[in-house]
Amino acid sequence: MVPDKNAGTTPAPTRRQLLKAAALGVTAAAGGVAVAAPPAAEASQGGTAPMHPRPERIGASAPLAPPSVAVITLTRAGFGPWPGDVAAFNALGSTDAQRLQAWVDQQLNPAAIDDGPCDAKIAEAGFTTLNKSLGELWAQHYNNNPSDDVRYRPFRETTRLAFLRAIYSRRQLNEVLADYWHNHFNMNGDDPIGAPLFVHWDRDVIRANMLGNFRTMIEAVAKSAPMLYYLDNYTNSVSGPNENWARELFELHTMGAENYLGVLQQEDVPTDPEGRPIGYVDADVFESTRCFTGWSVANGQSGAANTGAFLYRPSWHDRFQKHVLKVLLPADQPDQVDGRTVLDTLANHPGVARYVSGRLCRRLIGDNPSQETIDAVAAVFFAQRAAPDQLKQVVRAILLSDEFRTTWGAKAKRPFEVAVSAMRAGGSQFPFVMGNSTTDSFISLYTAAGQQLFGRRSPDGFPDSQAAWSVPNPRVGGWRFTAYLVNARSSTNVYYLDVVNQTPANVRTSNQLADFWIDRVLNRTLSPEDRTAVVDFMAQGLDPDLVLPWNASVQNRVRALVGLLFWSPEFLYR
Amino acid sequence: MCDMHRRRFLVGSGASLLGAAGIAGGLPRLAFADPEADNTDLIVTVFLRGGMDGLSLVLPLTGADRGYYEAARPRLKIPVSGTGAALNLNGFLGMHPQAASHAGPTATSLYDLYLGGKLAIVQACGLNHPTRSHFDAQNFMELGTPGVRNSGFGWLTRHFQSATNLPQDIIMPSLAVGGTQQVCLRGNLETVNMTDAGAFRLDNIGISEWRAAQRVSLRTMVRNGVDEVHETSLQALDAVGIVEQYVNGTYTPSNGAVYPQGGLGDQLKLIARIAKLNLGLRGAAVDYGGWDTHDQQATGATGYFANQITTLTQALTALYQDLDGVGITQRMTVVVLSEFGRRLRENDDSGTDHGHGNFVLVLGGQVIGGVHGVWPGLRNDQLYDGADLAVTTDYRRVLSEIVIRRLGNNRLDQVFPGYNNYAPLGVVKGLDLPPWLPGTVFQDGFESGDKGHWTESVP
Repeated sequence: MVPDKNAGTTPAPTRRQLLKAAALGVTAAAGGVAVAAPPAAEASQGGTAPMHPRPERIGASAPLAPPSVAVITLTRAGFGPWPGDVAAFNALGSTDAQRLQAWVDQQLNPAAIDDGPCDAKIAEAGFTTLNKSLGELWAQHYNNNPSDDVRYRPFRETTRLAFLRAIYSRRQLNEVLADYWHNHFNMNGDDPIGAPLFVHWDRDVIRANMLGNFRTMIEAVAKSAPMLYYLDNYTNSVSGPNENWARELFELHTMGAENYLGVLQQEDVPTDPEGRPIGYVDADVFESTRCFTGWSVANGQSGAANTGAFLYRPSWHDRFQKHVLKVLLPADQPDQVDGRTVLDTLANHPGVARYVSGRLCRRLIGDNPSQETIDAVAAVFFAQRAAPDQLKQVVRAILLSDEFRTTWGAKAKRPFEVAVSAMRAGGSQFPFVMGNSTTDSFISLYTAAGQQLFGRRSPDGFPDSQAAWSVPNPRVGGWRFTAYLVNARSSTNVYYLDVVNQTPANVRTSNQLADFWIDRVLNRTLSPEDRTAVVDFMAQGLDPDLVLPWNASVQNRVRALVGLLFWSPEFLYR
Repeated sequence: MCDMHRRRFLVGSGASLLGAAGIAGGLPRLAFADPEADNTDLIVTVFLRGGMDGLSLVLPLTGADRGYYEAARPRLKIPVSGTGAALNLNGFLGMHPQAASHAGPTATSLYDLYLGGKLAIVQACGLNHPTRSHFDAQNFMELGTPGVRNSGFGWLTRHFQSATNLPQDIIMPSLAVGGTQQVCLRGNLETVNMTDAGAFRLDNIGISEWRAAQRVSLRTMVRNGVDEVHETSLQALDAVGIVEQYVNGTYTPSNGAVYPQGGLGDQLKLIARIAKLNLGLRGAAVDYGGWDTHDQQATGATGYFANQITTLTQALTALYQDLDGVGITQRMTVVVLSEFGRRLRENDDSGTDHGHGNFVLVLGGQVIGGVHGVWPGLRNDQLYDGADLAVTTDYRRVLSEIVIRRLGNNRLDQVFPGYNNYAPLGVVKGLDLPPWLPGTVFQDGFESGDKGHWTESVP
């Protein structure tokens, strides 16, 4: 008989006890996780929205006290503390509530935050495309049949720029949100047409709109050449319709699979008290496809100009009447009105408020935020849907919620967060410079962990759940690139992450070295068992209170100690 | 046979109620595993992501359906004669000509394997669910629970959990090749997930002087907790150790096999390499993307789709030929799936949109070759939704047959809960075991009845 090794001890840890995040447009790599007993209402037709019970760990470790609000905030609403950040946060007020409010207010006004050091690094990076207009990018990196080097340069610059900003910018929340919205409206930058236009996409579509109004944002997305190509709408015409954009607009960008009712006829979809349908069906997608016919690009086709700008082609538009989400769009509306009406209807739908708010809550709070919090945030999203700063208000609502402030460890870092938070914790001065082989080596190692920046092929974006990333490849990938980061140095042997010179002169015993760097990297204490493991590593069998000689071998060991902290499970919580 | 003990992940024995579509609760490790009945078969799933256009891979050659096909696909149709002509499968259906391509002078072709009876093609096969969403369809197929998105375990994971004929200690039972673990293996903590063996190790990076000591300390720390972050870190660390110890140096395929350049070739080559190392590999998953051909798909038998088929068929062939050289094909089954096919009618951009029924390929030494299943026809009233090839064989039927006849596991109630009408189709050889029917487990944990059939009764 096969013995159960876990019998008689704490309950066997199993993934089945993880409770599910909401069903997103999941891919093979998605992060849907088990419910202990799936709701019976999960119908084969795409069903009702699943419930969001509170998460529990697979098994129970002795729970550590959550870290300070400073650490929680800087780790989830930023990319982790830079040396001095925790003290600066705590200086913003005399209570946690004051500090958090002050920090959020500052961060939601990014233009007023001086970002000199980061700007200086950007200026030294050798970027040549960041200020080019869409027309210039189109003409100089796409339309002139360029070499791959030229074609892919805007994408490669934006990748390095994203790292620079995430690591060095003081506008940390801005960077977290940019990363979020790049995933929400996923665009494959590692692509023959996505790459040359990626500077425009990042600057003019995502960053320009992400603290503004959602309705404005989705129209900017809908009319941008990268998206029109990525999801094929540039070719969507009455004689040859293409539904790719319309489907993903509904399924991934606005309503979400949680509001998808599948095979019902439109007339059979139940309505809410305001007469709106409670969800969408395939027919809504097909009708929306018709609404977006003619939304194309000035790409020189059929006598058009060749600039990459949005171009509405009236002769391609399906002029007859349509029904989308129980709204009748009469025949022969003026140019673009059909498509805009679809966007209006979506942006004014409570289901969209819930879906988008749920995603933002899952990014900023944890994998299973409570329905109460999501609903409260959705209420702000919906109430402010005409406000020019709607999305700023939504983020404020999330960050000032009780759940944000009191949640810890309900989410794990993905490779991007591991890389950036490690460099920030270590005060690393890592180069991100075009044509620099160190930069290129790091990005190659980083990419192997499975979260290539702007390189997700499928429009659903990278998954945002702990479960999806708790598989060997990204975990090992993160260990590999953090091992590289603590050992990387310039041609003159200057370490980019300078462990040695950041270790005070009076920190020389194994106990001291461990405690100093645990505090620096994690900004909190470890469990006694973990601390012992770190001390023992440093001591290597010696007396942990022995003052160690400051020689090359010991210095390497301290670097490896920092690397060990980056490897630790504790470093992954956020 | 290596003595290394591998943590076997035993799910708690207090089984809770299994709902009709539910994957709830612990799957009881069946108590009376026969230590002599060690099944060594390997299943490899190749998932074509994006919705492979099955009707460009397998297509009608004659009859009224040929007429409907040609009328619907003026630009995409594969001809029956001349350059780029389809290969004959059974007199009625043909195959894309690139299936006869050779990756090199010593390489055979997938069509040769078909003629040799090693390739089964199941026509009009797929997911019996109306969704045309890539993500839902892929998930439903890989979770093995059409309509249910939130299952915590993939179908292949549930096979490993429910099989009673596997030894206690397997070094590397399953391998997920690619950037992330495929959903069919979701929830399986023993799976090694890697892109290539050189990148999946800690012995060639970082500070060489202290690497080994770091690893010891890391192992201590990951064992200091049992939550998901800790458990999966331990899994990753174990996996790295295995690869470092056993996968070294360059690899030479056997038997004249030539893998095509690029990702799929490399990934199938890695599977072959691991399979040959006697690490106990039982399951492997790999992806091949780029099939969502909404535009510029092809011109007849040339173009983008043809290139994809060339890579696919050559890579599958290489895997077979390579492992045939060492006798492993006798216990290997490769199954090729895609989330749905594409519409019969081409669109205006020389492409195709999301469809429904497709073709499932099964390749292996114990395959019963040929075309299987029921052809539904391409007349408009025979199409699904008036647009797509219909589904006449549930994909779970094919996988279930492989799980029973090749893997020797008849716990379909676990592997495909809610799938109640299994009957073998005849695509692989092997012993038919009557499948367990779904039902309740008594409160005291005992299940009763004859093997393959049991009744509820009040204790």
